[in-house]
Amino acid sequence: MPGDVEGLFAEHHQGLFRYLYRALGHRETARDLTQDVFLRASRARVPDGSGIELQAWLFRIARNLVIDHYRRRNRSPEVAAAAGTPSRPASQETGTAVREALADLADLDRDVFLMREVAGLDYDQIAAACDLTAAAVRSRLHRTRIELRGRLTAPIAHRRAAPMCLAARRTQGHES
Amino acid sequence: MTNSDVISAFIDHEPFDAQELADALGDPAGRALLLDLVALRSLAQPEEAAPATVVPAIPPRRPLHLAVAAVAVLVALVGGYQWGERSVATETSTPPAPARVVSGGAAWVETNAGGGR
Repeated sequence: MPGDVEGLFAEHHQGLFRYLYRALGHRETARDLTQDVFLRASRARVPDGSGIELQAWLFRIARNLVIDHYRRRNRSPEVAAAAGTPSRPASQETGTAVREALADLADLDRDVFLMREVAGLDYDQIAAACDLTAAAVRSRLHRTRIELRGRLTAPIAHRRAAPMCLAARRTQGHES
Repeated sequence: MTNSDVISAFIDHEPFDAQELADALGDPAGRALLLDLVALRSLAQPEEAAPATVVPAIPPRRPLHLAVAAVAVLVALVGGYQWGERSVATETSTPPAPARVVSGGAAWVETNAGGGR
């Protein structure tokens, strides 16, 4: 029902946008696909289940949209920084290095990593969204982290010098 | 569980054994891994939050469907009524012209209702 979908949107659009933004590398496309997630959800029968299961269902839709997007365009996430992106405390080089490292990951590994680190899904939710077992999620996540740790040695060292937070999901973000 | 596994479980809020975590963090490599993974998480966050203008563009399907259905019923009722009115008017004002004339002939016998003579 539209009312249910609007509630889901209010609750999860930030996480979906963040996942899509990192997966696609482009802000406007991420924004469009965030809306597409809810259009599709509004046209589908919302499955019975808890909020946790519904969140996994939304991310499954989002992931399918990302796959469709790349299938149409036959390319990987955009690496170039979007014009007008506000600068961060970290250098622009760091941002580029992170985008390149994410773009070079296998699609499924990138999705698992981003759903955990950027959207804050737990192993079971990621497993439901990506058609994996929780054990496979744990394994892929660990392997991907080790791979990224090796590729991003300098940015990680730089970031360790600044205050950090353990939370997987940033609750406050600056609006653009 | 390896040191990596228990540290991953810790930062992912998954169940872990406290003693195994203590052992893992007792190792300098384990401590370095923990800090690197937290830093990696921080680096992975996108530069921007979702724009405030992102709103669900969900079409109001149900009200539209109801309106279309109501209009269809109204058109059917009015159209049916007018068609019926025209048919009645046609029947009462101009009787149909006879297509052929039937004559009784020489053997024609009038009978009463019920067949009696």
